[in-house]
Amino acid sequence: MPALPLVASLPLPVVSLDPFDLSWRPRLEAVLSAGCAAGATLVEVFLESTDHIGLLAEQDRITNVSPAFGKGAGIRVFRGERDGFVSTNDLSKRGLLTALEQALGMLGLEPCSAGRGGFEGLAHLRDHAAAKAGWLAACPGLGDATARLLEGTALLECHGQHLQARRGSYARDWQEVMVAASDGTFARDIRLHQSVGLNALVADGEHRASQGRRYGSTDRPDDLLHWDAEASATELCASARAMLHADYVEAGSYPVVLANRFGGVIFHEACGHLLETTQVERGTTPFADQVGSPIAHGAVTAIDEGLSTGAFGSLSMDDEGMEPQRNVLIENGILKRFLSDRAGELRTGHARTGSGRRQSHAFAAASRMRNTFIAAGPHSPADLIGSVERGLYCKSMGGGSVGPTGQFNFAVEEGYLIENGQLGKPVKGATLIGEAKEVLPRISMCANDLELAAGFCGSVSGSIFVTVGQPHIKVDAITVGGR
Amino acid sequence: MTVTDTAILESPVQGLDASKLAGQLERLAAELGIRRWDLGAACSTDTSVQVDRGEPKQLKGAQRSSITVRVWNADGLVGITSTSDLSAAGLARALAGAQEASAYGNADDTPTFSPLATAPLETLDQPLREPVGILSLLATLQEAERDLLSRHVAISTVPYNGLAQRSSERIYLNSDGACRQQRLSTASLYLYARAEEAGRKPRSSGAVRLAYGAGLLDVAGCIDEAAERTISHLDYAPIDTGRYPCVFSPEAFLDLIGAFSSLFNARSVLDGVSLSQRESIGEQLAVPFLSIHDNGLHPGNIGASSFDGEGTPVHRLALVDGGVLKHFLHSEATARAFGVAPTGHAGLGAKVSVGTNWLEIGPGDSAGGASGLDRHKADGVVWIESLSALHAGVKASQGSFSLPFDGWLIQGGEARSIEAATVAGDIRAVLKGLIGFEGPAKITPDGLCPHVWVEGLSITGDA
Repeated sequence: MPALPLVASLPLPVVSLDPFDLSWRPRLEAVLSAGCAAGATLVEVFLESTDHIGLLAEQDRITNVSPAFGKGAGIRVFRGERDGFVSTNDLSKRGLLTALEQALGMLGLEPCSAGRGGFEGLAHLRDHAAAKAGWLAACPGLGDATARLLEGTALLECHGQHLQARRGSYARDWQEVMVAASDGTFARDIRLHQSVGLNALVADGEHRASQGRRYGSTDRPDDLLHWDAEASATELCASARAMLHADYVEAGSYPVVLANRFGGVIFHEACGHLLETTQVERGTTPFADQVGSPIAHGAVTAIDEGLSTGAFGSLSMDDEGMEPQRNVLIENGILKRFLSDRAGELRTGHARTGSGRRQSHAFAAASRMRNTFIAAGPHSPADLIGSVERGLYCKSMGGGSVGPTGQFNFAVEEGYLIENGQLGKPVKGATLIGEAKEVLPRISMCANDLELAAGFCGSVSGSIFVTVGQPHIKVDAITVGGR
Repeated sequence: MTVTDTAILESPVQGLDASKLAGQLERLAAELGIRRWDLGAACSTDTSVQVDRGEPKQLKGAQRSSITVRVWNADGLVGITSTSDLSAAGLARALAGAQEASAYGNADDTPTFSPLATAPLETLDQPLREPVGILSLLATLQEAERDLLSRHVAISTVPYNGLAQRSSERIYLNSDGACRQQRLSTASLYLYARAEEAGRKPRSSGAVRLAYGAGLLDVAGCIDEAAERTISHLDYAPIDTGRYPCVFSPEAFLDLIGAFSSLFNARSVLDGVSLSQRESIGEQLAVPFLSIHDNGLHPGNIGASSFDGEGTPVHRLALVDGGVLKHFLHSEATARAFGVAPTGHAGLGAKVSVGTNWLEIGPGDSAGGASGLDRHKADGVVWIESLSALHAGVKASQGSFSLPFDGWLIQGGEARSIEAATVAGDIRAVLKGLIGFEGPAKITPDGLCPHVWVEGLSITGDA
């Protein structure tokens, strides 16, 4: 049955529920050929199909079920170092050619019907998706997923005190992508990300505290069924209980011990972004000409990779069709390399690292982190805490941000004073403030308990799935904002 | 398997065709046995440019479409599905998905159609502007960047910049015959410059402008403001940690109130995550000379909508008057729970979100507060120009905040930029600790507000 026109002035989206397979080759080659014939030095087409579901449980009810699906394409055209990018929901040949024409026009190029402009056709399809075709069907159905969430909120009720609100949330994001470029790149993949979280708001008179935990994985269809809801709820309730009556931390400069797992968010935000070639292009990283030079304490080795099994930032290929790598960014304090995508390589000379990533077809890929972590060191966590006379232990970190000149700012969700090498009373309202350039040399001790945690990273090419991580680390001095 | 195009037919009609969409939905719903449904749809075309030291950095174009359908099943439970696919196949799949989701609808809190979904709408004065060519956008931004770079030798780059334009349309329809439709054209310009002097840290600041079309943007004003702000931060010094009286710029105070808007949000109240409770209406929330209204229809609100996600008309609503909490923001469902009318602040969903439109903050009709306040003659006062990291530093359900800011310390009437610092406090204490307002209210992208003086807040300097 043909679709009737609902949007007249805009290209109509044409959704085929069929997978992206070899039948797309002629259409893609026609687009790439047309782009090259017009004078583009490189043309790339990114096709995407998505299927999302979000669930919310509050108290002991499912209160929101939000399915969403869609298809789209992003077409990027390079002329030398310049590029134009157009996204569309219309995947018809005409729709793609219209988008290509717009992208060409941005670079002062006009469509040309003759020739292939040096385009020699797409290479053999590298099909990372072939073994993943059954993943979507293997994910838990609504019945199982809602039951697991309600189990989580019920466990909060079991383990919590002074509870005012309990929430559980689950998101499943399935994405099929196909990348075709005029350099012959032709690849396909299926990605599956699932995350589940619990949140609790506790209140006792004027005292209030809220705590949340989120767990995420990739490429494991049945992961929700194996989620340890009991452990999640127990940890969350203990944290909320500790923070409910906590005093505000006193502002000042302290030695700080940051816990493992999500403590790595500071390295991700404050340093990792500065090692992306997008920052080199903008001129906003202080490390642009520091490869081979010390930028951190000798205790620090930092890695970004896309290979860890099941980790939230792992990929079979990046959004430019390149297989991910394991990249040592900093080794014993020495800057080794930057993360680079296709445009980054073109404009900065840093070789691609399989780090070209984007939220969706509506964004051009950019150099972005995957699983980023500080490597384990030789110490025990107790060694780190024992070395601090008076300081702060940050057991759980919240979100934060980095300003355009490199200052960072992170909220501490669960903190404790350290007094004479021992953990003391809980404190709230702490914010860690500093600059990567100044703080990296002060990371003087790394423990032996590296762990990763799932997260989301928002930047120039949208919000993407990442992993942050570290062992316990000690920062000799950092400004702590408080009251 | 072959790739096939479903039919794409041309039509001279511009934008979304509401009646065709309604007819399509009606037919598909009937096939699936769905009697009650509503829908929100939107489509847009965007073009945007960024530049880097005279060269085009990124040129982008996008055609987007999206639709959210909501259906009620035989038990009266609600399910939704969203998609970017407006073809018949996509709509059919969306309806089926919504029907499946409705089996998990919340029987305790089921939305229904807004009783105001067919009420008359205010007419908005929103000129529609044709988009200009992307190369024209590029030339404008290149010139703006060149001008900004020439304003001071220390301004070396404008690392964050963009000029964008959008033509958009949105629709609300329901099976009872409601039909809302609005078209809009908007444009935006942002320029954030980076300046650095020898041996000193880089400094950054900028400005934003919105308009109904690229040709209507106040480009010169944006350049002037970005240059002035950036240059004003070149001479900086650390600040001692301590408590200071603070003057919030209109933008900063609107950001702070916006971050704590769950105080006024009936959905948050019902969910138990607001500092307010059902019985808080009528309580003294702030100093008696503070008024806060939500007015999405204000002429200064570029991109205003005349109806919300449920089709309810948008109108001006008093949230705080004379310091007293007057009304909450409502969707249809929360309004029903409170026994009042929806206020035009709803999204569209199985659980409907509620949010502010555009805030007006000031003394309202109330008198009081310190008079003659002048930050340019102050001493020992922190002037907060802009707040950052609100997503991380605001604990809305607890009332506390700890936020990095850009600003100046004023001593003896002289303002000197603060190197780096955070401001921390409790929103309830802020609202009851207002000293007064300075100067006329300023129109910003987020609302209308004058400079606001607040009693001593905790400032942590990063030295």
